[in-house]
Amino acid sequence: MSKRVLRRFGPLFGLVALCAVLTALSDHFLTLDNVINVCRQSAVNALLALGQLTVIVTAGIDLSVGSILGFSCVLSALLLKAGVPVPVAIAAALASGAALGSINGILLTKLRLPHPFIPTLGMMNVARGLALVMSGGFPISELPSGFRDFGAGSIGWVPAPVILVVLLGVVFHIFLTRTTVGRDIYSIGGNQHAALLSGVPVDARLILVYAISGFTAAVGAIVLAGRMNSGFPLAGVGGELDSIAAVIIGGASFFGGVGTVGGTLVGALIMGVLRNGLNLLNVSSYWQTVVIGIVIVVAVWVDVVRQRASR
Amino acid sequence: MIANGSSILLELRGISKSFSGVQVLDAVDLEIRAGEVHALVGENGAGKSTLMNIASGVVSADAGEIIWLGRPVRPARPRDAQELGIAFVHQELALVPQLSAAENIFLGRHPSDAGWVRWREIRDRARELLGELGCDLDERLPVAALSLAEQQLVEIARALAFQARLIIMDEPTAPLAAHDAENLFRTIGRLRDRGVSVIFISHRLKEIARIADRVTVLRDGRHVLTADVGAVDEDGLVRAMAGNELLKFEATLAAPPTLGAEAIRVEGEVALSVRRGEVVGLAGLAGAGRTELLEAIFGFGSGPRIRLFVDGRAVTVRTPRDAIRKGLALVPDDRKLKGLVLGASLGTNIALATPRGLFIRAREEAAAAERLVGELRIKAAGLDQPVKYLSGGNQQKAVLAKWLYAEASVFLLDEPTRGIDVRSKAEIYELVRALAARGAAVIIASSETEELLRVADRIVVLHRRRIAGELDRAAATEESILQLAMGGEK
Repeated sequence: MSKRVLRRFGPLFGLVALCAVLTALSDHFLTLDNVINVCRQSAVNALLALGQLTVIVTAGIDLSVGSILGFSCVLSALLLKAGVPVPVAIAAALASGAALGSINGILLTKLRLPHPFIPTLGMMNVARGLALVMSGGFPISELPSGFRDFGAGSIGWVPAPVILVVLLGVVFHIFLTRTTVGRDIYSIGGNQHAALLSGVPVDARLILVYAISGFTAAVGAIVLAGRMNSGFPLAGVGGELDSIAAVIIGGASFFGGVGTVGGTLVGALIMGVLRNGLNLLNVSSYWQTVVIGIVIVVAVWVDVVRQRASR
Repeated sequence: MIANGSSILLELRGISKSFSGVQVLDAVDLEIRAGEVHALVGENGAGKSTLMNIASGVVSADAGEIIWLGRPVRPARPRDAQELGIAFVHQELALVPQLSAAENIFLGRHPSDAGWVRWREIRDRARELLGELGCDLDERLPVAALSLAEQQLVEIARALAFQARLIIMDEPTAPLAAHDAENLFRTIGRLRDRGVSVIFISHRLKEIARIADRVTVLRDGRHVLTADVGAVDEDGLVRAMAGNELLKFEATLAAPPTLGAEAIRVEGEVALSVRRGEVVGLAGLAGAGRTELLEAIFGFGSGPRIRLFVDGRAVTVRTPRDAIRKGLALVPDDRKLKGLVLGASLGTNIALATPRGLFIRAREEAAAAERLVGELRIKAAGLDQPVKYLSGGNQQKAVLAKWLYAEASVFLLDEPTRGIDVRSKAEIYELVRALAARGAAVIIASSETEELLRVADRIVVLHRRRIAGELDRAAATEESILQLAMGGEK
């Protein structure tokens, strides 16, 4: 029982411990303003991580989410500047993200590329390149306020992006654990061959999974563009790695078949809290990068040790 | 038969081991003489593998002594055991497929001068060792290009390369065709002649009678008996393995089948027809195309080009999904690789082929799975238990349960009893007959001719991916099947 609890809530214990340490070290950490701030800053990574989780559960990887975010960011800003109504611009951004993602899936399954690393690495470059081409390399600023609300607005004192993350988190949790498609996704990650021979439409599911990952990247794009009041072509650089880190810290396995929405969101929060805490403690951003790298490795190592102990 | 009469090579005394609270071995004794072939038998879960893992340093015992040549030893790693002279040829061979046979033989212990590998010596010694085993394969070929039987020989040669005096073989004949198994028996004979002892784990009692000097039976982690092979017959072994419970092997064949309409017909490069209520056996040597044919019927793989008719109607089956929609089910030859999602729960595996609607109907699935678990007597801690923790026999039953839940009516069974214990085998034979009696059509492919004679109404023999002939149960014998399988005329 206690082993199961630990396995299930390990990342959450890590987050609580981290918060306790930071509360002790800094008077500014545990204030409403700062907590809201952390949540707002973690939202984009959490959105990317939800899609990334879906991919990693199939034993895949999506290196293109940061670039797709950049592409959708520029696309929505350009459309808004051209006078397109906000809902249409948002729909177009979301559709473009899902479309680029599904191209990843189609390349993987139909061209039978050896590993998802390859098509998504290609897409990482193509989507970023297109974002730069479309924008000429410059940020597109001054977006309409109805659009900005998705990134900068709030309901009461809860930031809009946080509400978005919670809503999508619930949807993803239900999708992955309660639907037959979700079960297919875990089965593919557990044993793709057995899933195929049990009648799971593996190709269709993989295409769907990469489309979902592209879609959540586009949601992230809308939030980020709204928050920055700008569609900039270098938005989301490194987002693929942060999202992978959040998923892995959250207890998912690179070998597929294992991973939860709750763990992933906690993983994204751990990264956000860590950055925020190091800022409060006046640690330079250069050193922050070093610390985050160490945390990723240690988190996975702890998980490995835990699994070995439970056998 | 026994060289060096009674000099004891290895003695295990009072070995006990438990994994997470479950007692797997309980004070087991085992004694291996120099130059003997010692068979180790028992149902799955009897503790054979664990005992051998302890002897070869893969896991360590909780209690007990290991005595090697009269001296107590404690191998903590496989490497320690190897240095003593104990080699373990696992079922899953531990070879690097991209490297040559010669390199694999000396893997991790390349002879060298100050870091420079002596390749010439490696090749010469490898050829010599393989020659001693009666094998003339090209030692420069990458292991991936070798047959399974040849790969086993490479593993055995590797054991000889570090002067192993005891070679443990875990079900070495399970994946082999009959004539490859014969070759392996000859190799084992050669090893014995050199004074090397062999521990031979097998579920095939006939083999044991042929090649072993002595046999030890384990049951539920305890030592039951050790005897000279001549002193105990097959029935005696089965009783020792199963305990007092009776096994009804023969009951399954009592009633003559009542055949219904044609359930499935295959036309094209291979032609075959099975009626409802009928069990058709598929025989043939390894590489004759049994697995390929079944996979082609199931809509994948690189098998023969065929046209398929289900219940008299032509159907197009391009994917396993199509096949399942037509009521077909495949129990693949490798349940771990193709049959099960090992990390997923028993319940999930049973429901895997039967998605009903968008949302999982957890209660409905659990009730059905519970019923199937009872019906098939699957031993598991519960529906939540990951199938990787089940024994081979129970895993195979889980695959069958999946198709029963999917309400399949045409069953393609590929080596359904490979590597599972006697009792589970008997239960699977019973199930096959019960399926037929309920109006299902069954094609069962097996490399064990005896199994087909036991369970099939009719036996189709493949030779080089084509049908060599067909035998009625009344007319079929091991000899007549083998003759067709080797390409001879009926």
